[in-house]
Amino acid sequence: MGFFIQRIFQAAIVVVVMSILVFIGVYAIGNPIDVMIDPASTQEIRDNLIRQYGFDRPLYEQYFVFVGNVLQGDFGQSFVYRVPVLDLIFSRLPATFELALGAILMAAIVGIPLGIWAGYRPRAASSKAIMALSILGFSLPTFWVGLLLVLTFAVQLHWLPSGGRGPTSDLLGVPFSFFTPEGWSYIILPAFNLALFNMGLLIRLARAGTIEAMSSDYVRFARAQGLKESKVVGLHVLKNISIPIVTVFGLEFGSTLAFAVVTETIFNWPGVGKLIIDSIMVLDRPVMVAYLILVVLLFVLINLVVDLLYGILDPRIRARRSA
Amino acid sequence: MLFRKNAVLALTLALIGSTTLSAQVMADDLTIGVRAGPDSIDPHWSTLGSQAESLRHIFDTLIGVDKDLQLQPAIATSWTAIDDDTWEFKIREGVKFHDGSDLTAEDVKFSIDRIPQVTGPMSMTIYTKSVDSVEVIDDYTVHVHTKGTAATLPNDFIRLFVVSSEIGEVGNEEFNSGQAAIGTGPYKFVSWQPKGDLVLVRNENYWGEPAHWENVVRKEIPNDASRVAALQSGEVDLINYVPATDYAAMQNDSRLDTFIADSVYILNITPNVKDELPVKAKVNGAEIAENPLKDLRVREAMDLAINRDILSEVVLEGLGKPANQLMPATFFGGSTELPVREYDLERAKALLAEAGYPNGFELDFACTNNRLPGDAAVCEALSQMWARAGLKINANALNGTVFFPAQQAGEFSLWLSGWGTLTGEASYTYGSLVHTADPDKGLGAFNKSGYSNPEIDALLEEGARTLDDDKRRALYTQVTELSMNDRVLIPTVIIQTVWAAKADTLTFEPRVDQETLAQLIQPVAQ
Repeated sequence: MGFFIQRIFQAAIVVVVMSILVFIGVYAIGNPIDVMIDPASTQEIRDNLIRQYGFDRPLYEQYFVFVGNVLQGDFGQSFVYRVPVLDLIFSRLPATFELALGAILMAAIVGIPLGIWAGYRPRAASSKAIMALSILGFSLPTFWVGLLLVLTFAVQLHWLPSGGRGPTSDLLGVPFSFFTPEGWSYIILPAFNLALFNMGLLIRLARAGTIEAMSSDYVRFARAQGLKESKVVGLHVLKNISIPIVTVFGLEFGSTLAFAVVTETIFNWPGVGKLIIDSIMVLDRPVMVAYLILVVLLFVLINLVVDLLYGILDPRIRARRSA
Repeated sequence: MLFRKNAVLALTLALIGSTTLSAQVMADDLTIGVRAGPDSIDPHWSTLGSQAESLRHIFDTLIGVDKDLQLQPAIATSWTAIDDDTWEFKIREGVKFHDGSDLTAEDVKFSIDRIPQVTGPMSMTIYTKSVDSVEVIDDYTVHVHTKGTAATLPNDFIRLFVVSSEIGEVGNEEFNSGQAAIGTGPYKFVSWQPKGDLVLVRNENYWGEPAHWENVVRKEIPNDASRVAALQSGEVDLINYVPATDYAAMQNDSRLDTFIADSVYILNITPNVKDELPVKAKVNGAEIAENPLKDLRVREAMDLAINRDILSEVVLEGLGKPANQLMPATFFGGSTELPVREYDLERAKALLAEAGYPNGFELDFACTNNRLPGDAAVCEALSQMWARAGLKINANALNGTVFFPAQQAGEFSLWLSGWGTLTGEASYTYGSLVHTADPDKGLGAFNKSGYSNPEIDALLEEGARTLDDDKRRALYTQVTELSMNDRVLIPTVIIQTVWAAKADTLTFEPRVDQETLAQLIQPVAQ
């Protein structure tokens, strides 16, 4: 229990620091008024708007008003859209969540087995090919690969759509699009684009872990015991290499979810990434602050889940914790 | 292994099959890929062009504009100034809202009155700033009382959308959900999410020319490459703002049609003519106290050193035209007498020497890099052209988020920015850019150069008071000629806009305000 409380406390501190940084950062770039307001406005209109948005008050006062509202559950309204910020973000979050989940699952399902194979038979030609491909995976720029995918599969071959999201149906009141094959046709390319980097990472991690595990004592003893090779690798080795993989998996899921902007832009995926980058460009402060706070909370949650998974995967950690 | 391979094959085939099925769209539907959509379905929320363009499908304005931004009747069938501070508008009869109710003068009054309460940071009050009060005379007559004489009130009302007075006091949320999105336009609102698709269905009871397309979807695709790919893959039928590089390729592609037209946007160089520059000029490396741009000969020299043909044909890759004034000459108050700008490098160098700068001078030059196509490219080309005249002009292309606050704060000595005369007449442009900055009069709001000419100021103010169209036009033409000859701003090129569509499927007349309106798009007869 103390474990949880400690985590929540840490999260709260990070959130407060984050919100202060965003307020100062936005102010340092310039007065949002100058970016948002029509340049042809008269001085009277400018003054009215400045008063309406509270920009005439000193920065710390604006910050305390914001904190006061947040404690009542009100994150404010977007400067650009004048709709509640949380509604705006949550209307687009399911799409990004779906995309990030698809990407990370694709990366795991393809990357981990390939990496294990590359570690199991490190000198085989196929393993060398896998390693070369993994380098491409994390060195090719996402936007370039994305454009290539669109040009090849959508424009030239007409196999898949060039962008957008497929038809959605509700699951627990949240719209998702992975229920239909048509929905999948929209998810595949952007998810693959996002997955490439993670795939490269997971392949190399899995390979390194497997090579180390294969030379360990327990593998020798398991083989001596007469266990099938698939059981040796698929159960024992896998469990032992999974700690770093789960760590990276968690981190990458968080950053993919939070920062999938480039892929979302190229594939016109209606996610939260496009919303954020546009909000930053026009200094839509309420959206920026709320989003970054949500990102912090997301990373805290992911780290918590990963820590719990450690306990499940490795009994030694479980024992150490309860000791 | 075999099972897995078969499964993968089956899945791929299923996907291909399902996408080709879904690609068969009804012949009467139109899908447009646009660079920017609305920020709200409330037509009074913002003055942004993309907002007006999207909402012109659902709502009508009091006064309409043709493709050259000249006034034409819309909700108002006629308008006259009945005295110095009152305009009378006659409202069209028989116009029905999407919910079946009739449009009357009450709705017009409601629309004008609600603007100050509901408008956002791109405030629509710049169009209603001269309105004092609105009086309903009868069901189809409205009197607008103005503060002083407002000769250009009809021009301000070309973005005055009319909403139903029965929606009550509502804001963006009620409009976005569709509850209050009741207009009189050729299309009815179906659904929209911020940054998402705007889905429309034809209004069968429209008072005007009925639209051809039954279902229209406007997809917001801000990334240029994705938008072009969407057209090439068949996802959309038409796209706007085709980039110059793709335009060149599309002209050779028989599967696509392109449509090109002048826009209202002109890239102008503004020299800071204050006594002291924010960042001083340098001669031979040493700072000088005086401001070289104050001398008309220097400004003229810089103008003569610009090769506008190269800017249009090479830098903008054919998507530009030389400009010699701040708005198209055919707009109200433009001048057809002004000469085409010449390119004369020798004369430029001679003028500079005459003004006391035989070795030129050094200045910083700022511009945007993400506001108009080619803005950064033109900026860099200009600094190279001035280098040929002996001037060392340091081009600095900035993101709009950084450029505009700095420009408002008066931090630049020389800058390039785009200006679009969205009301189709001179006072909007010259009143904001050339008139002395005077916050009390609401004039010169965008005059950051420090230019102040009492003669031009007097002409502009007299024009605002003159209700006679011909007299006012003459006054504004004079303003245009005086300010252009004085090089208050130096216009460079008019930006052209390109649309692209699948070959031989549809046709439309491109508009100078760059608006893509589904109701004006017609299919090509097969």
